[in-house]
Amino acid sequence: MATLTAPVKEIRKSEEQEALITGSEAIAVACKLANVDVITAYPIRPYDTVMQYMSQLVADGELDCEFIVAEGEHSQFEIVKHASACGARTFCGSSGVGWMYAMEALTVTPALRIPLVALVGNRTLDDPGAFGVEHNDALSVRDLGWMLVWVDNAQEALDTALIAYRVAEDRRMFVPLAISCDGAFLTHSQSYVKVPSSEQVKKFLPRYDRGDLLLHPDNVISVAPQANEDWVMEMRRQNYAVTERACDVIREVYADFERIFGRKYGNPFFEEYLTEDAEVVLLGMGTLSTPVKVAFDKLRKQGKKVGFVRLRWFRPFAGPEIAKALERFKAVGVIERDLSLGSPDLSGVVATELRSAMYSHAKTRPPVLDFLCGLGGREVTVADVERITDLTFQAANGKQQPLTQWIGLRG
Amino acid sequence: MSTTYVETKPTQELEAFKGVKKVPYEEYFTSGHRTCEGCESAQFMRLIAKAAGPRTIVLGATGCMYVANTSYYATPWGIPWMHTQLGAAGSSALGAAAALRALMRKGVFKDEPINVIAFCGDGGGADMGLAAISATLTQADYNLLIVMYDNESYANTGIQVSSTSPFGVNTTFSTPGKKKRIMHNRWKKNVAGLMIAGHPTVKYVATVSTSYALQAMNSVRRALTIGGPTFIHCLNPCPKGWDFDPAIALEIGNLAVNTGIWPLYEVEKGELKLYGKTREIAEGRFKRLPVADYLLKQGRFAHFTDEDLAYFQSQVDDMWNNWLVPGVIPLRKQAATTAPSV
Amino acid sequence: MGQLFAVEVIGRGIFQDTLAKNITRGIVLAAHNEGKLGISFGRYGDSPERNGIPAKKFAIVASDEKTLQLGMAHYQPSQVDISIVLDDTLCKGIESWAWDGVHAINEAVKRGGTQIVVSTQDPDALLKLIHRRNEPYKLGIVKGIASFSGLWVYKDDHTDVRILGAIAKAMPELFGLASIEKYIQAKLKDGAAKAQSAHKAYERFTPVEIPAGKGNAEPLPRFELPGWSEMRLGVSVAGQPQGGPFEDPVTKKVGGHRPVRNDKFMKYTTRSQRPVINFQTCTKCTLCWLNCPDGSFDVTPDGLYDADLNGCCGCGICEAVCPVKDCITMVSEAEFHDNDSQWLRFKKNKDDYITWLTTTIKGAEKERTHGFRYRGQYQEQVPAALEIAQKS
Repeated sequence: MATLTAPVKEIRKSEEQEALITGSEAIAVACKLANVDVITAYPIRPYDTVMQYMSQLVADGELDCEFIVAEGEHSQFEIVKHASACGARTFCGSSGVGWMYAMEALTVTPALRIPLVALVGNRTLDDPGAFGVEHNDALSVRDLGWMLVWVDNAQEALDTALIAYRVAEDRRMFVPLAISCDGAFLTHSQSYVKVPSSEQVKKFLPRYDRGDLLLHPDNVISVAPQANEDWVMEMRRQNYAVTERACDVIREVYADFERIFGRKYGNPFFEEYLTEDAEVVLLGMGTLSTPVKVAFDKLRKQGKKVGFVRLRWFRPFAGPEIAKALERFKAVGVIERDLSLGSPDLSGVVATELRSAMYSHAKTRPPVLDFLCGLGGREVTVADVERITDLTFQAANGKQQPLTQWIGLRG
Repeated sequence: MSTTYVETKPTQELEAFKGVKKVPYEEYFTSGHRTCEGCESAQFMRLIAKAAGPRTIVLGATGCMYVANTSYYATPWGIPWMHTQLGAAGSSALGAAAALRALMRKGVFKDEPINVIAFCGDGGGADMGLAAISATLTQADYNLLIVMYDNESYANTGIQVSSTSPFGVNTTFSTPGKKKRIMHNRWKKNVAGLMIAGHPTVKYVATVSTSYALQAMNSVRRALTIGGPTFIHCLNPCPKGWDFDPAIALEIGNLAVNTGIWPLYEVEKGELKLYGKTREIAEGRFKRLPVADYLLKQGRFAHFTDEDLAYFQSQVDDMWNNWLVPGVIPLRKQAATTAPSV
Repeated sequence: MGQLFAVEVIGRGIFQDTLAKNITRGIVLAAHNEGKLGISFGRYGDSPERNGIPAKKFAIVASDEKTLQLGMAHYQPSQVDISIVLDDTLCKGIESWAWDGVHAINEAVKRGGTQIVVSTQDPDALLKLIHRRNEPYKLGIVKGIASFSGLWVYKDDHTDVRILGAIAKAMPELFGLASIEKYIQAKLKDGAAKAQSAHKAYERFTPVEIPAGKGNAEPLPRFELPGWSEMRLGVSVAGQPQGGPFEDPVTKKVGGHRPVRNDKFMKYTTRSQRPVINFQTCTKCTLCWLNCPDGSFDVTPDGLYDADLNGCCGCGICEAVCPVKDCITMVSEAEFHDNDSQWLRFKKNKDDYITWLTTTIKGAEKERTHGFRYRGQYQEQVPAALEIAQKS
């Protein structure tokens, strides 16, 4: 485990500053900038370094918030859920089976319209308890009304955390949001990050205001009486309405972010790398983008017209935009860091959803191949990327490929 | 000058109601809840709300008092109320208390004492949510009260055994059958004692009964005044699950106390005070009624044989005769180190 | 399409749960003796049942599979051939849960169908309570007091088989008496006596024709459910406001406290008995008000305690806890035709009220207990119940 550097101690009022920090610490700094009120911690690797940073910040008086160590992830998330209902801006997080232990608490927060912001340090689900990255933990809440976004470097982690509070706490949304950081690769690796000033954050992030949903003696409401079949569909429709406008809200917030902080993300939903004249494109989420970009710089020199789409927002899934972006390519290869056992064509979650979007919105339908790679924390190597690209090119050139393949597997 | 390690904010000074005529009229838990005729758990909710007053937030864990009470998009609560999960009474109370503390400190809310009360049934408290309650009881900075309403079953799902269900009881998971008459051979968990013995910094733990309405309200008021996390365990006779005429609910509650089965006591900063008939029993001024007087008034024990009754009696006798602190802590005196066998 | 029959049983939750189940099962099994297929089930939304809160169970019977499927397409039948009410105090209407309003007991009965009520009263008395309809139907009484018991101990007083007998008389196409007797002998204890009870009930059952428009004209409280765009977010609802003092009609003094009561679920149709209060002998001890789990008592401006009869569910705790003899007496709900305030009536004319009270509580039907008090109680009560049932 990486030793902690001197954390970012001082937030400047009017100036941006630069710091060498890990993905986890970047999130901690964002929480400090966002002036969170209640944090709950519970140890599980690899997300919990963020909580170690939080502990230091709180102890040193750098962050004024309640810091509670829970006795389990279910309680951890229940505590912040009710703290948020009572008007507190909260931060929480987990990894792997810890996230699964919290599942009951996670399930109810969207219907309750509780805008939690949580860090998922993506970790392989037990068993066998490996610490390394897989995306199934965060993906397990994809049907429940959570927003899900993947980041791949510390700068993006910090920026996205601020964006997360702004998006989640927008009254048009008011649903929880999980930021996924690949375990170890992002959580524990350091890079230079521009840390905003407190004035900038103040302009961007208003105070969390629950309005008439606040649980407080001055606002006598009953939250979540038990309802029967006469009511549930209507309640679900309300959460559905959130998903109908989510993409617009996200676009609006990113535009505002660029205006205030000067950093341009362009299309919020996915990053495109070398796609302008590409013939074949790979798609994936998280830190696998680094070996992909390194491999592609090499392949481009060899004349191969390759491009990469790095998906950021998984929920909402910007289906029409993604389909439109991908339909012109000859083939698409998905680098899949999750499993969806028993699914159509035995493909992972990302490829299955992508194919659904393509089927509905793409004018032309290139083959979409799925490559199960980098599971259980195994690296996605440059060689893996080259192999995946080669197989995808074969499909582009008419040689039929299996819809799902395993890459980097022994035996 | 010593360091202050724990900083509790001021609480409301809620003085005890000095008699039934001093109980205020205001109802913060009104009619129209879909509970059974004679529901003593609902009565407890009503008493808690009345005792706590309007500057209160209530978190209600899943159970009868969630499904029956605030069901089908209606509500009887006149104070803010929020549902929480079955095992989350402890965690929800802590979350609410933490938010209030932070937001008052940051000047977002007016700094004032607001009661935080989380309730759970015996299923949510003695079983699923025990760890969360225990953890919260160690968080000495936060003012909150956790109440466990004990109808000795998972009542809302149609009456199944929990770890506070009495020995031998008939429930849908412990049906008296031809081969096994007694499916539930477990003895009732001593929850209040557990809370007392395991959490040295908790300032108030009490057992109450809805048959002693005034004392139940005053216990709630004491818990909310004394500061820090607190715990109250109430026995709530359940006419549906226990199978008795709703009209005799208070009589059943009294019999539980008068047979010695349900001891009434408060522990305030480590000092134990028995009260009501329990005190008279301990001081030898009242002879415990035979447990059969209580058990045979309820259909849930209608299958009991004389042998079952004798066993039940022996366990209650053991509690009073051999525990170092009768009804509270089951460490046995030197003379009787052999626990009775099941 | 073959023959399709639907029967509903309306009973008090938990108190008549086992009884209602026995009836619907008995219908299916008796009909099966004539080669018919059927299912028996409870209304899902009623579960978990609560003491006294009205609940429905159903039996659907058909001559063949396809027709049975037709009968099952809708979870709960919107039209029934026979509706059975197990406690005549339910005749005033049933409110099973919030936002559903109060429903007439006969709303699902088909044109020309039969309403059966277990009662000691005659049809004319019941028609003051049973709501009028736009279509004719038949009303028949199965003589008897309401049979109540609980979850674990059942009062086996032959109500179930007597109702089967009545059904056979009302609708012989569904099943005949012989089929009932066959079912009883095969499946039930005490077969001979029960077969005889069923037989007698069959002979005695004489429904009367009720023309369209005859019955209780009181409007039934109903609600319109809001749509998703009107509903508050986050599964939240506004809490209850605080009540306050009110005016004494005679002295004009304002005081006391009347809580705001939940208007989405009133709960009065839950009760089979109501507290009749003697405001003259009341010592103002507060115990009834303090111990009512439903908070049903208003504190009057003169410091008395008036049970709000829209909210009271008739548990009887107030009578049990009142220290003054005959100050609070639980009386069968069948004796009353309104939910008006007793205290108001008392204030307007004290002597009249006391006279009325004295007569009312004297005639209080002592048999209407609703629950277990001791082992052997039900066995003791059965002979008396059978006797009432068999008196012509």
